[in-house]
Amino acid sequence: MLLDAPWWIMSDQDAALSPLAVPRIAGPGSGRWPFGRMILEVRLDMPAWKQVVAVACSILIGMFISAVILVASGVPPGELVNEFASNVFDRQSFQAVLVQAAPLILVGIAASIGFRARFWNLGLEGQMVWGGIAATAVTIYHIGPEGLRLPLMALFAMMAGMAWVAIPALLRMKFAVNEIISTLLLNYVATYCLYDLLYGPWKDPKDAFPHSSLYASAERLPDIGHGVNAALPLALVLVLLVFWFAEFSRFGFYLKFIYANPAMGRLVGVPIIPVVWTAVLMSGALAGLGGFLVPSGIAGRLTQGFFEGYGFSGVLIAFLARNNAVAAAIVAVLIAMLFVTGQSFQIFYQIPFSMVQMIQAIIVMCVAASEFFIRHRIRLQR
Amino acid sequence: MRDIVVSWLANLPPLAVPYALASLGLIISERSGVLSLGAEGLMLVGALTGVAAYLSFGGYPLLALVAAMIAGAFVSILFAVLVVLLRVNQVIAGLSLVFFCQGFTNLIGTVANWSNRTISGLHVLPLYPLSELPVVGRVLFTQDVIVYLTIPIFIAVTYFLNRTNMGLRLRAVGENPEAADAAGLSIYLYRFVAVIGGSALVGLAGGYLSVGSAKIWIAGMTSGRGWIAVALVIFARWHPWRALFGALLFGGIEALIPQVAAAGIRVPQYFMLMTPYLATLAVMVWQEVRGRIGSDEPAALGQPYVREERT
Repeated sequence: MLLDAPWWIMSDQDAALSPLAVPRIAGPGSGRWPFGRMILEVRLDMPAWKQVVAVACSILIGMFISAVILVASGVPPGELVNEFASNVFDRQSFQAVLVQAAPLILVGIAASIGFRARFWNLGLEGQMVWGGIAATAVTIYHIGPEGLRLPLMALFAMMAGMAWVAIPALLRMKFAVNEIISTLLLNYVATYCLYDLLYGPWKDPKDAFPHSSLYASAERLPDIGHGVNAALPLALVLVLLVFWFAEFSRFGFYLKFIYANPAMGRLVGVPIIPVVWTAVLMSGALAGLGGFLVPSGIAGRLTQGFFEGYGFSGVLIAFLARNNAVAAAIVAVLIAMLFVTGQSFQIFYQIPFSMVQMIQAIIVMCVAASEFFIRHRIRLQR
Repeated sequence: MRDIVVSWLANLPPLAVPYALASLGLIISERSGVLSLGAEGLMLVGALTGVAAYLSFGGYPLLALVAAMIAGAFVSILFAVLVVLLRVNQVIAGLSLVFFCQGFTNLIGTVANWSNRTISGLHVLPLYPLSELPVVGRVLFTQDVIVYLTIPIFIAVTYFLNRTNMGLRLRAVGENPEAADAAGLSIYLYRFVAVIGGSALVGLAGGYLSVGSAKIWIAGMTSGRGWIAVALVIFARWHPWRALFGALLFGGIEALIPQVAAAGIRVPQYFMLMTPYLATLAVMVWQEVRGRIGSDEPAALGQPYVREERT
């Protein structure tokens, strides 16, 4: 066993148990390495501050790799620093970041509540699309009095998001269909539904572009001052609600049980199916609401690609925030900076907007890899 | 009517090949216990590399396809390091691989100006005497070289998995890594090689998509075919020949889309484009209703192997 294992993966346990360990017999793969032998052991615990340092270092490494790629594809390094700094120091960019943050917060908490129930909701984009479609339907068919228009749009968007997530949830509960694939596939279906509407009946009659006509002013989220609209406070209230719900309510307690050990949960009487359903539907409703915030809070109309980039961002936010709603809000603001920077790079350097996804993916990989070093210790043995 | 059916059948194999090769590649890596959700991204890498190699090295389509294979294998090393060595959650790693590849190929394609340029690509190679047969000649023997090669590739992989010692060990690693480890197999080595080898086929599938059938690179051109291939593997219960059957089914559905319009049936365009995804869902439901009997799902699929945590 000792001779066979790659040298970098040998554990203390093997070294101790194997009769070959004490007098080291040279064999294939166990030669003398110039720097001694690497031993891997599982850490039982790591102080919180060390974990934070490890994660922060991996994020920095990820950002460095991303920066190298961007510079290689033609962004002057000075501009790169400038753009990111202006997100914080430039008033206008900072407003853009805050406006951008609200829908990202929503998809982030939507993903995290789904993950807490061990449901991989990767259909955030599809649920956003349907949320946007439902909200726009309210504006197009003038449903309800003008004063109630915004709450109605939000309500419709949430219902639509719930309905769309109910399909993969039902498939999973009734037929054990893997939700990772079904939610992803349904994103494509939702997108084609959106195209069918925007290239068909909902096309803007004024300019014949594939987007809906502009929302009336009563259908746009009101400004609350400093160029920031009502989406942000709404998102923050929801963050607190979800946080309370997931951390302090009975429901949240059940969710923790289901996350940790579903079989055990069933034995002690946790109502697994209703709890999972509630969490999944909440996830869909929040994503649908995000689909209402983008057209109503940012673009002012339903556009072809309004949902792009949010799906993976939601997953990333939930992953980095470890499914904690408050942490998700903070991460979402950082991701919003990336979005705003990505938009300006798209305009100034013709860098495709999907570079935002690329950077996020690099950061996720680095952080995920850092978990290895949090959970394991590598020692050199001479 | 007969013309429509014949042209539908003749268009079917080139559309089925990407599904077939991608799901075959996925079967190899999943049989070793690694859940490869990154297929969509690897196909994009293969597709871009195929066009890039075609444009840069003087237009040899076969060279372009080999480059696509190498690129798929190369990028998958990153994935293999993450999931096999660093034991990252395979879903998270696979997803981030897809989104990394989506962004990266889009960026490279734009910066290097490889996007939206039509190429003449892989040519049809009629197998002369056979290609003159009435219907069969056009459907089966007037295709390109990759279509012909697909069947031998399937035979080789099936033989490898079922009839060779290496294949048996590979499956053992996916079924019961503890026992395989105790029997002296290197879990890490087998999984590494399986991921890289499987990803080469996925890269070939992507390269064929751009060089063989679309003859152009467009950002995000795989449009979910990688995910469908992942679903096909489940549908095929990890058996290569059933995957080929599923690939033909989906190739058939895709080939039907232009034929429906040609036949003058009025169906909204975007609803037609949805059919492969809806069909995938239907197939997955059907698969689950039938039950998992006869399924060869590797028992250790998706679980990182940690010898230090062995019980």
